[in-house]
Formats: sequence, structure tokens, C-alpha cells
Amino acid sequence: MLIEQWAYTNRWRWVPPGAKALLTLSAFISAFVATHPWLLLALAFGLATLTIRGAGIPVRHYLRVFLPPLAFLVIAAATLGISIGGTNSPWPLTLRLAPNQLPEIVRICGRSLACLTALLFLAFTTPMTDLIALLRWLKMPPILLEIMTLGYRSVSVFLAAAQEITTAQKVRLGYATMRAARRSLGSMVAVLAVQVWQRAAALEKAAQSRANDGPLLFLDNEFAGNGRSFAVSAAGGFTLIVLALVL
Amino acid sequence: MHIMEGFLPVSHAVGWSLASLPFVGYGLHVIKKIMQEKPQQRMLLGVATAFTFVLSALKMPSVTGSCSHPTGTGLGAILFGPVAMAPIGLVVLLFQALLLAHGGLTTLGANVFSMGIVGPFAAYGIFRLASTLRLPFGLSVFLAAALADLLTYVTTSMQLAWAFPDPTGGFTASFLKFAGIFAITQIPLAISEGLLTVVVANTLKRFNYPELQEMKVFAGYEVRV
Repeated sequence: MLIEQWAYTNRWRWVPPGAKALLTLSAFISAFVATHPWLLLALAFGLATLTIRGAGIPVRHYLRVFLPPLAFLVIAAATLGISIGGTNSPWPLTLRLAPNQLPEIVRICGRSLACLTALLFLAFTTPMTDLIALLRWLKMPPILLEIMTLGYRSVSVFLAAAQEITTAQKVRLGYATMRAARRSLGSMVAVLAVQVWQRAAALEKAAQSRANDGPLLFLDNEFAGNGRSFAVSAAGGFTLIVLALVL
Repeated sequence: MHIMEGFLPVSHAVGWSLASLPFVGYGLHVIKKIMQEKPQQRMLLGVATAFTFVLSALKMPSVTGSCSHPTGTGLGAILFGPVAMAPIGLVVLLFQALLLAHGGLTTLGANVFSMGIVGPFAAYGIFRLASTLRLPFGLSVFLAAALADLLTYVTTSMQLAWAFPDPTGGFTASFLKFAGIFAITQIPLAISEGLLTVVVANTLKRFNYPELQEMKVFAGYEVRV
């Protein structure tokens, strides 16, 4: 997972996650408040530049993550640009272009791009463990955080198992035809499903052997320069919201 | 089908989050009760979350010849139950947004409603109904997984139509537009996921029946080895 790889190695790894989340939240607010499409596109460009230049994410890696969600945007925007029927149409199902919808479509696309770049700013610069610690600080239900922590820590184990099984199946031509591919994938998912119970039992044994009989306890990372980071983030976020309101 | 980040207006983004909240809250309440009675279930839910996330990241051969990703809502609901799938779905969708940039944080509520609530409840209901009607096991699993997928996509199309009604035809015309365009990808995906889930369920039934006895949904079917 490209995002995760950079979340642990980017230049802003040790900037407090709360400061980065504050800037992301401000960017979301300004994207929803702004009405001018150029301002939304400028916001998207600014946030992408901040992530690439500031955090040191290579452009090609950024684009590999940024481009796939645009497929939804293109299809959905095209759908909004077409209208069914019409007052002068003799047919109940007539597709026609709706040019009066264009300003609204451009605004929706601009907002989506701005919000996507805001999300990528947070995702590329902040590891999941720091985000879970932030959610713990925000008093999210402990049970939800436990599911998140255990789930996150098990993802790499399952991905590695899936990769190894797929390689073994591929060398036996398990993916040579579509029928064989479905059978191979199905048996792999079945094996992984059974591993859910086996791994959970092993984890429970490991926890019990360490005398764990209650909630999981965590030591969170410490971040230097908390005040300065929050001040910069708050000033940046405030500026974005004011610009969105004024322009 | 995930709605991308920032696509929904703020009122709809907040509204769908509020609509999903009781289901997630009830799911967490039930999970908490289960954990008090059976503390070993805590690890199971965490690992199940990882499994559902990895399932959604796998490439699946589609009936059209292209590749797509399974949603895992049908299989998840059959294996872990629909109530647990609401909080699990929330966490999986949060992981997908933050680790893969699929979906988003502002559209999390809408995506949880379609993929974490409607899909799993539909899959579970269809599977139980098919069991009551004594349909063959494979057909029951196929219907549960494929129809859950279809209902997830219909719900997403309704969410989009509600947010962006057609200027002349209103909600209905907008729903027909979104459902029609996304049907090109979603109907083959539903059929593929239905077939895949049948292969998974049959394999589990043949080789891992003891584990499956822990899941109440498979009770009532005879083992054929």
C-alpha cells in the first residue's frame, strides 16, 4: 500500500497528527463553503503541492493514488450533465445534454478534487497508528478503537498470506483461465476466512499469556513542537476558510 | 461502489452519517455485550475487520472479462452476521479511505449506509429466506451475495439521485440515470461476486465444517464431503 509506505517515511511524519487533522478539517470546511470553481481548483492544487513539496511525496506516487478515484468523478459528472426526457420530447426516455447544469457540475468537481487532495494530505503524512491515537484522544468508543487497532495490525498479515497463496496458485496455472481464476480465488478466500478464527484464537492465547484480561493498553508517540505546529495549522486553516467565505 | 470524497453536498453527507449512527451504535452495543460474555470474541472482530478489508483489495475476474474488486458485504454478513458488519463496515471503509483513497471521510456516512448496513442486512435476510424456502445451498449463497451487491449499488444510486435530482425529471429520472450508467460495471460485478462467494462457501463447507459450526448461519445444512 503506497499511502501507508509514505505515511511512515514522509518529511512530516513527526508533525503532530492533531495539527495535520486540523488543517485537513479546515480544508474540508473551505471546500464546502467556497462557491467559486477557480477557488476550489486553487485549493486542490495548493493542497496537492503542499503534500508533494512539503511532505516529499514523489509526483508519480501521488498520481498513482490520486487518479483512480477520478473515474467515479468523470462518470458521475457525465451523468449529471445528461437529462432524461423534456417538455418538448415525444418520447418518455430521451437523453439530452443539460448545459444549464454545467456551472453546478464544475463546482461539484472542484469540491471533490479539493476534498480528495485534503484527504490525501492527511493520508500521505499520517500513519494509521497516529490517527487511531488521535481518535482515542477525541474520546471515540474504546471498543471501536480496539477493532481498528487489531484490524490494522492484522491487515499486513492477511495481505502477505494472500500474496503467498496467490503466487503458489499462479505457478500451478491457477489463474490461466477465468474459470480457474475464480476457483483459485475462491479457495484462497476460504483459506483466509478460516485463518480469521485460527489467528484470533492465537492472538487471544498470546494476550492471556501476558495476563491481559481487559482493554488493550497503548503507549502513544510523543511529538515535538506541538504548539508551533498547531499555530501554523490553525493560521493556515483560518486563512483557507476566510478566503472561501470572502471570495 | 464508493461515493468519492467531497461529492455529496454537506447536508447529505451529515444526513447519511446520522442515519448510519444508530446501526453502528447498536452494533457496538451488541459487540460489547458479546465481549463481556465471551472475551475471546474481541480478537475475532479485529481479525475479521482485516479479512474484510483484504477481501475488498483482491482482484476478482469479472464476467465481462475485466477485473474488479469484491465488496465482501455478502460473505461478511454470512460469516459474521449483519449487526457486527455495521461497525466492521465503518472501520473497513475508514481504512479504504485512508489507506487506498477509495471513498472518503465526508462520504463515510453514505458509504457505511449502503455497504455496511443495507448490503449485509440484505445478504443475511436473503440467505435466511432462501434457507427457509429450502433452496439449494449454492443457490442461497449466490442469491445472498449477488443481490446484496445489487442492493448496495441501488442504494448508492438512490443516494446520488436524492442529492442531485434531475432538473426536469426529478428524483426518478436522476435515479434511472445513475442506476443505468453504473449498471454497466455493477451487474457483472454482482454476478462475479455471487459466483465467487459460492466457491468460498462450498470450500469452507467441504474442508472446514468444524469452524463453520461457530457460525449460526450455516446451521441446518448437511455436510457433503
